[in-house]
Amino acid sequence: MIPISKPPIAATGGRRQLWLVGAVAIGITCLVAALLHFLAHFYMLNQAEKSVKSLLLAQRGFHRYIQEVMHPTFYKLKGEGQVTEAFYAPEILSSSFIVRNQHAKYNEERKTAGLDEIYYKMAAFNPRNPVNQATPLEADLIRRFNADRSLKEYREELLIDGRDYLFVAIPFLDNQKKCMKCHGKRQDAPPGLQRLYPGEGGFNEKLGDIRAIESIRIPLQQHYSALHIVLAAVLVGMLSLATLLFLNTRLRNLVTDRTRDLEMEVAERRRMEEEVRAVNQTLEERVDKRTSQLAVANRELDAFAYSVSHDLRAPLRGIDGFTLALLEDYGDKLDETGRDYISRVRGGCRRMGDLIDDMLKLSRLSRGELRLHEVDLSAMAAEIVEELRRAEPARQVAVEVTPGVRVRGDGVLLRAVLENLLSNAWKFTAGTASPAILVGTRLDGDRQVYFVQDNGAGFDMAYADKLFGAFQRLHTEQEFAGNGIGLATVQRIIHRHGGTVWAEGVMGKGATFSFTL
Amino acid sequence: MILLVEDNPDDEALTLRALKKNNILNKVVVARDGAEALDFLFGTGVHAGRDAALLPEVILLDLNLPKLNGLEVLKQLRNHQQTSLLPVVILTTSNEDRDKIESYRLGCNSYIRKPVDFHQFSEAIRQLGIYWLVLNQAPPK
Repeated sequence: MIPISKPPIAATGGRRQLWLVGAVAIGITCLVAALLHFLAHFYMLNQAEKSVKSLLLAQRGFHRYIQEVMHPTFYKLKGEGQVTEAFYAPEILSSSFIVRNQHAKYNEERKTAGLDEIYYKMAAFNPRNPVNQATPLEADLIRRFNADRSLKEYREELLIDGRDYLFVAIPFLDNQKKCMKCHGKRQDAPPGLQRLYPGEGGFNEKLGDIRAIESIRIPLQQHYSALHIVLAAVLVGMLSLATLLFLNTRLRNLVTDRTRDLEMEVAERRRMEEEVRAVNQTLEERVDKRTSQLAVANRELDAFAYSVSHDLRAPLRGIDGFTLALLEDYGDKLDETGRDYISRVRGGCRRMGDLIDDMLKLSRLSRGELRLHEVDLSAMAAEIVEELRRAEPARQVAVEVTPGVRVRGDGVLLRAVLENLLSNAWKFTAGTASPAILVGTRLDGDRQVYFVQDNGAGFDMAYADKLFGAFQRLHTEQEFAGNGIGLATVQRIIHRHGGTVWAEGVMGKGATFSFTL
Repeated sequence: MILLVEDNPDDEALTLRALKKNNILNKVVVARDGAEALDFLFGTGVHAGRDAALLPEVILLDLNLPKLNGLEVLKQLRNHQQTSLLPVVILTTSNEDRDKIESYRLGCNSYIRKPVDFHQFSEAIRQLGIYWLVLNQAPPK
């Protein structure tokens, strides 16, 4: 088992993680506090707005009561002509006056009850009472309400003398024909009013010209406790801190588990690697052993071949030598048949000697190293053909060699290949009317194939696989001479070059020997 | 004088016959193994008392010999001052490249392969005799 080292992140990384968790918890606390503060403020404003609006609507209702109930009742009681100037006191007839003063009383009551005052105002551009003169903000609002009749209310938070106020205004734009009784042309108004308001104030309005707003401004109060908000935020912060710590621990445990799994996996892999290495080592040892066994076998084969070359030939030489001695020294005591026997014995010796030599040659091809270099097959073939022509100048054979065929191989061995194939072609075209031999190359798929083709005796394809066996012959000695070792030699050389060799032929039509390298 | 180092009695007889048939009438001494050949040349062992100053004109040396093989005999000859220049012809059945290379490396003067055909063998012996005993000038003693 391989020792596992603990990953170094655990100690310092853990502390950093704690800091991070703390910071996140504080951040969450602040966020929660801000959110709670915002919600509380929003709620408080909403509530304040609702109560202010109900007060405004109550005042509006009061206005309407005076105009729509009190005034008609008054006229009904006294009759139109009976209303004298003395009756045009604002305390009795002016809804604005009555509502304003009623509000003053309301404020006094509030004060007595220990509540803040509520500022109520009816503002206009051309008020009868100067206290109703519009401030710039109010004048601006009157214009805006006039411009856009869909606006039903305006709301704003104001900071006045360090105090927060909620300011709410609603338009008071609609007027009716009966309003013109007091606000129309001066000369049409009741004389009492004319006297009471000597200036322009409130007169000469036209129908639809009384433009005004009603507004209320109340101080805003902290309807919520900041302490509660802080406590709630801290509580949430603590909860999130605990959750984070819990999740962090879970995560760390998970990481630790996974790390341990991975380490075990790594250890397992290392162990397997070790095994593979051990197996490899065993294999290598086996290969070494087998190689040395092969080397021993090769040496033994060598020794065997050496022994064959000496021990098989020596007695053969004895047989031949003494048979000849017999013939020379005692020939006169033998008749024709006896001498024929002796010549047959000697012929057998010669053939066996050649066979032993060929066998040795074949065995030598399997030994020794390949000496690879570039070989000009064309030039080599031409030389061999030249030698064949010199040996049999009487024969006329048309030989064509494709020029410039170059390969990489052992020159000595490839020469033996070409010698065997060409001398075969030469030999087997002996009985052909116009003998021809072609040495060339072609591309078969992606491999280069070299071939020697002749139009000679050919062979039966049924025996094609026997061609390359050592000492295999398809023709009798009388037909064509040979010991059947040439093609075995060719095959061994081609195999040693990592190539293949094969033959195609038709009886009496010729043969093609092809090989790759 | 010719020293023939040959363990095979058939080959010995055939060689002697070939020499005789080709009218090579020099005295032939036969040693049947490597050790005997060295004993003869240095006048030791079985040949103790022989005058070692009398050396053959040529040695016909087989490679495959009992006790000491031909290459070892050649090596000792070349290492010995008295015999270092002596003409040595390897006469063997072996056609192995390494035998030829090793023989020449150790300083043989010629390498002849014994043919199986006695006519060819006889011809080889004839040419060998003419060359080494007639044409060739041995190193001065």
